[in-house]
Amino acid sequence: MTEPLLRVENLKTQFFTETGTVRAVDGISFEVNEGEIVGLVGESGAGKSVASMSLMRLIDSPGEIVGGEITYNGETIFGLEEGPDGELREREDMLSPERMRREIRGNEIAVIFQDPMESLNPVFTVGGQLREFIELNRDLEGAAAKEEAIEMLREVGIPDPEERYEEYPHQFSGGMRQRVLIAMALACEPNLIIADEPTTALDVTVEGQILDLVDDLQEKYGTSFIWVTHDLGVVAEICDRVNVMYLGEIVEQAPVDELFYETSHPYTNALLNSMPRPDRTVDELEPIEGMMPEAINPPSGCRFHPRCPDAKEVCTRVHPDPKVVDTVDGDPHRSACLKRDAFDVGYDESPPIDAEPDVVAAAGSGAGGEDDE
Amino acid sequence: MRLLRYTIYRLVQSIPVLIGITLITFILANLAPGDPVQLMLHGQEVDEDLVRTVEERYGLDQPLHERYLNYMAGLVQGDFGHSIHRDRPVRDLMLDRIGPTLLLVLSAYVFAIVTSIPLGILAAKRRNEPADHISRIVALFGVSTPSFWIGIMLIVIFSVTLGVLPSSGLVYPWRTPADTSFFGYLAHFYDVLRHLLLPMIALGTLQMATLMRVERTQMINSLQGEYVKLARAYGVPERRVLRKHAFKPAQLPIITIIGLNLSTALGGAVLIEYVFNINGMGRLLIEAIQELDYQLIMGITIVIGFIFVIGVIITDISYAYIDPRVTYGEEE
Amino acid sequence: MSIESQSEVGDGSGGGTENQYGWRYTISKVLEDTTARWGLYVVCVVLFISAYTAIDSNLSVITFGRVSDFTFAEALPLLEDPERIPPPGETDGNQPPVFHADGSITHPLGTDPDGRDYLSRIVYGAQVSVSVGIFSTLIGLLGGTIIGAVAGYYGGIVDDILMRSVEIVYAIPPLVLIIVFTVLISGGSPDIQFAIVGVGIAFIPVFARIIRSEVLSVREMDYIEAARASGVKDYNIILRHIIPNSFAPVMVYATLQIGVTILIVAGLSFLGYGAQPPTPDWGEMLRVSHGHMLSNIWLSIWPGLAILITIMGFNLLGDGIQDALDPQIDD
Repeated sequence: MTEPLLRVENLKTQFFTETGTVRAVDGISFEVNEGEIVGLVGESGAGKSVASMSLMRLIDSPGEIVGGEITYNGETIFGLEEGPDGELREREDMLSPERMRREIRGNEIAVIFQDPMESLNPVFTVGGQLREFIELNRDLEGAAAKEEAIEMLREVGIPDPEERYEEYPHQFSGGMRQRVLIAMALACEPNLIIADEPTTALDVTVEGQILDLVDDLQEKYGTSFIWVTHDLGVVAEICDRVNVMYLGEIVEQAPVDELFYETSHPYTNALLNSMPRPDRTVDELEPIEGMMPEAINPPSGCRFHPRCPDAKEVCTRVHPDPKVVDTVDGDPHRSACLKRDAFDVGYDESPPIDAEPDVVAAAGSGAGGEDDE
Repeated sequence: MRLLRYTIYRLVQSIPVLIGITLITFILANLAPGDPVQLMLHGQEVDEDLVRTVEERYGLDQPLHERYLNYMAGLVQGDFGHSIHRDRPVRDLMLDRIGPTLLLVLSAYVFAIVTSIPLGILAAKRRNEPADHISRIVALFGVSTPSFWIGIMLIVIFSVTLGVLPSSGLVYPWRTPADTSFFGYLAHFYDVLRHLLLPMIALGTLQMATLMRVERTQMINSLQGEYVKLARAYGVPERRVLRKHAFKPAQLPIITIIGLNLSTALGGAVLIEYVFNINGMGRLLIEAIQELDYQLIMGITIVIGFIFVIGVIITDISYAYIDPRVTYGEEE
Repeated sequence: MSIESQSEVGDGSGGGTENQYGWRYTISKVLEDTTARWGLYVVCVVLFISAYTAIDSNLSVITFGRVSDFTFAEALPLLEDPERIPPPGETDGNQPPVFHADGSITHPLGTDPDGRDYLSRIVYGAQVSVSVGIFSTLIGLLGGTIIGAVAGYYGGIVDDILMRSVEIVYAIPPLVLIIVFTVLISGGSPDIQFAIVGVGIAFIPVFARIIRSEVLSVREMDYIEAARASGVKDYNIILRHIIPNSFAPVMVYATLQIGVTILIVAGLSFLGYGAQPPTPDWGEMLRVSHGHMLSNIWLSIWPGLAILITIMGFNLLGDGIQDALDPQIDD
């Protein structure tokens, strides 16, 4: 198999706050191949956004990438090695901050943010912002960059792009602004676009239009995507492979159809049951019990066990790392649930937990639970 | 086009405020206890006929509303009435004195802006580092210290103890120096600066401190903005992120505050002119009050009010210039 | 970054969700803040001193009349009657402070040109500043609350007229307005009472604006609608429901405002339109010492420092309350 475009191995990103260390991303591994759309799914606060920002090394203090390896197209975006004094230090071949900025951000990996209302700078024209990014990331200057910018606005379906070029963000609707952000990403001709919940802030009809647009453009340009979302409906529509995140970890990883029809992890199952699906008729949707605990002090063993309907005593002790449970067309289906046969830790013999799920979950609630990424 | 319409809109909108200022000042001056003519005579025994003649001459025998309308009619033509005490038109008295005040206030503003903005940005960039703490302490002292006391202390240090800067008066840049050669102008300019330096700092410190606090808060908020995140994600160099993407949107509240603070600065100018013996509007006001010269007091109050309103309009227009969202009066 | 904002809300008190604007929550937040605590200490010391001297000199705090015969000052050996000018020979005028070669421990901060003990005058000066700060802020608060509440509650033409008038008062720089008002109202013989009223009136506009915007948001609440629908009288709705519910942000502003009024009245007294001699007042003392700058600079330094420290106390406290109420940006 050819080398993937992006490979993330055991990535760890932490925030060092006064109250303690928040392990926002805690050892995730995944790959993105050329031309595919990979989903990163989870509830708010699962660490999806932090993970995607880590890929561009855009983590602000007090956050820091503390471990793992990120390789993009043969270049090391992040990597550590053991120094002579035994301390971990940055590897020699890791890209310098300056090269990250010049060669990776925008040029190679572009990003589309969640909130189109806040992401565009209110005091500069839409065209000016688009043109600045084109000039920075492509060999185009002045009039040529402007022409390209207008072309991209047309490409993403903005009517009268010549006139809209001179307008300010407040003169655009939410959907139109999201199109502008997509135009920005595409205009830099990157090989990978990270889309961080790009349709969450939009209403459903606009969301549909944007998804269609992305589908078309992806086909045309062959760009890879990492699609960060909490919406499995969007995943079903757009993604090739999916990573499900829970509390900073990937709990299930599978091709999209496999995930939906051969669901392996109880958390994924719970997510699926909590949303309406056209292929199933149910009387009532089942919300997931309890709240997600804080990443500052995660539950022992399997992090999902306090909310898991299938949790047994062993789940409170043994921490599962994802293991391959199946392979579909050469793509592995990984799952981090002790129920699976790949784990041989005595799940079947383990006694059930007596405690009600929400008692434990309630202890972890508080300001930290609500996290709008 | 948008700015022109906005300017006209703001000017029209301010007309009632300007009229209101004249009305309040007029009521204040005329409802004060005591007969103005008697007060002016400081209790001296004068012939009743003479008082009546004076009253007639200045229209003081007419009912209040007619006197106001007469005053307004004059005002529209630039006539602020006649100072009985000094026997000169109020307008001429004020024209002599308005230059120094404007010079003082403007230079204090320049001082405040050029110091506060870089310091505020630095504090925001180095948040919770020593540079931030120092600038916040400076700002705290700045907003807590009376400007006239700063003036006195500056005089003590730089004029009395060190003897390097003059302690009183201004040299006006608009006067032609005796020596009209290039070096003459240069020396003149140097002299202007030397005289201006201390009063400018004394008056500008409060403004500097206020602006610095706001600049810091705004820059911190702006640096956390999504648009800054976006700029960084597209490889914009950090310097440009700071100076362009984060800076420009952060300046909007600063502009508003600069305008509103003109009120404090104009008030402070009265004190600073007193401390530094500057013959400006502020000192003229104090003199007029000591002389109980009602026409002059009214004229000065109205002019200072007008300067403030015009200043606010100018800052509003600059705001609209930077913020494309402002149309007509509806600001965000 | 999501986690960062989460931690910022999280540090401090963990479960602050129940009542963000409750008094108890506010007070605990303020006490957590180091700078606010220092502000509170300074304010408490100044308040204590002024309360003590007020009882001591047996003055009504408002009138600043004469000092009575009996004073606690006698019990406190360092303090003297701040208004009594000693006869020639008893003390030297313009004595420097104690650390100076010519100073003496009897007058730790020296004496003023009339030979009065400067420390006593500085200590008694707190009284004037504090009463000015509190009373003029109260006048502004009261006037602003009435105007703002009425304008906000009735809206329409009432709102227009009231807020326009308020805007006009706001357009004349406070110091200028206050000087003119004070001198004219007092008929040419200004004193501190007029200054307090003048400052209070000059600050009605700012309070009216804040109250009005609060009222506008409270007015739309369901329980106000309910009260109106069940026939409760307008003034009852305003007094019992609207004003109490829009008070928290106003209190923050009032704290910060106390500092500003002290600053302004100091300026007023410095020009001779505030407190009149022989009242011990920091601004007035600066006015007198201005003429003796060359002979005894300390006379100008002490009152200025006193003003600075007092105002800084109120500012620190106000900032602390503001931070506690508005966690938008925390340090």
